[in-house]
Amino acid sequence: MRARGAGLHTLVGAYVMDAVSEADRTSFERHLLTCEQCREEVRGLREAAARLAEAAAVSPRPELREQTLQAAARIRQQPPLVVSQKRRFPVGRQWRHVSRSAGAGARPWLARVAVVAAVVLAVTATVFGLHLSSMQGRLSAAERRDTAIATVLGARDATTLTAKVTTGGMATVVMSHRKRALVFIASGLTRLPAAQAYELWLMSPTGETPVGMLPPARRGMSGPMVVDRLGPGEKLAMTVEPVAGAGQPTSAPVVLVALGS
Amino acid sequence: MAGGDRGDGRPRSKPSGEVRPNGLELVLAEVAKGDHAAFRLVYDQAAPAVLGIARRVLRDPAQSEEVMQEVLLEIWRTAARFDPSAGSAAAWIMTVAHRRAVDRVRSEQRAAERELRAATASIAYDEVSDAALTSLEHQRVRRCLDGLTDLQRESVTLAYYGGYSYREVAQLLGVAVGTVKTRMRDGLIRLRDCLGVE
Repeated sequence: MRARGAGLHTLVGAYVMDAVSEADRTSFERHLLTCEQCREEVRGLREAAARLAEAAAVSPRPELREQTLQAAARIRQQPPLVVSQKRRFPVGRQWRHVSRSAGAGARPWLARVAVVAAVVLAVTATVFGLHLSSMQGRLSAAERRDTAIATVLGARDATTLTAKVTTGGMATVVMSHRKRALVFIASGLTRLPAAQAYELWLMSPTGETPVGMLPPARRGMSGPMVVDRLGPGEKLAMTVEPVAGAGQPTSAPVVLVALGS
Repeated sequence: MAGGDRGDGRPRSKPSGEVRPNGLELVLAEVAKGDHAAFRLVYDQAAPAVLGIARRVLRDPAQSEEVMQEVLLEIWRTAARFDPSAGSAAAWIMTVAHRRAVDRVRSEQRAAERELRAATASIAYDEVSDAALTSLEHQRVRRCLDGLTDLQRESVTLAYYGGYSYREVAQLLGVAVGTVKTRMRDGLIRLRDCLGVE
């Protein structure tokens, strides 16, 4: 008998049918991050499960159609996570590529990545669990972010990159080239004075774009933050800035992750 | 081999007019741009199945309608996040629908009510569904379900249609938790192969 991995893997059916506890879900999703084959199986079994739903189809009362369509008309759709207009700004030599690891081999840092990712997923699960019966048409920022996170993590080509933060801590990026989006999370960042905060940037050969301020850490974890509309050859950078944010970086990045193309 | 009666294991391409059109992914892309006409199409295509699974899991018609509307509005709101590379549009919508129905059951249903549902859930898949919409799909799924072992079928239907956790299913069926987990997986795999989905 193989141990943990195999034991977890048998959970795939129950997972696809939502027949698992939150704890099971979290550990299985952590397992998914490092198991391409399992993600593939999840996809296939979800298609099968969907057919079970379709086989159960019943006609809704006709009046529900207009009700739903009218409700939709009052609901603002989830906007794309827009990265603001590109600025032209030369990229100096000091932008040092700290470290980059791709793929899901059995490397020492992997355990740490898994822990980070598990936290991301736990956040996801929590938020999902909370908005059960909200019929009001507004989508909170948390919900928006949450869906985006699930999208990136669920992408066929999701890749995990990690990098040390030069001032302390570890940054993890899960990214999907196909979705042109990534999820950023950092752990163990050095606490900053109240007037300062960490800011994320997307850097391309032609300049960089502010992505947003990293929210204060909670239980040692900062983020997750979602960045989308990634361009080819861009890098993700983090700098220390005034708490209100800067239009362009005022200091050298404490982490820089090449996102590949 | 899948338990179906088809030698080649894969059904022919789906007849048109069925619940799963090829174009749902494309329609969703239009919904993401705020196209209300496209959303109407998605509603027409997906609402019956969403309501169907909500009814199976929740039993209560009023709650099921609520969940159906919530799910459709969720699709409207989040259409821009749909990723075709992660699966079909139908699978995405049904995943959202099933999860929401199960979440509601777990958070709202009291223990006594759950016991009551136990009596009916195991035969749930056998119920007659809307013939005009789903007769072909329903028959095919039923045939494939019939190809499972009893334990596989009961595990799958109690979990998916009943909304029970694998631990609850193990208790209901009086078998080991590990056995139920395995049967759920094996059952779904067999179903997948029989239905010819990938």
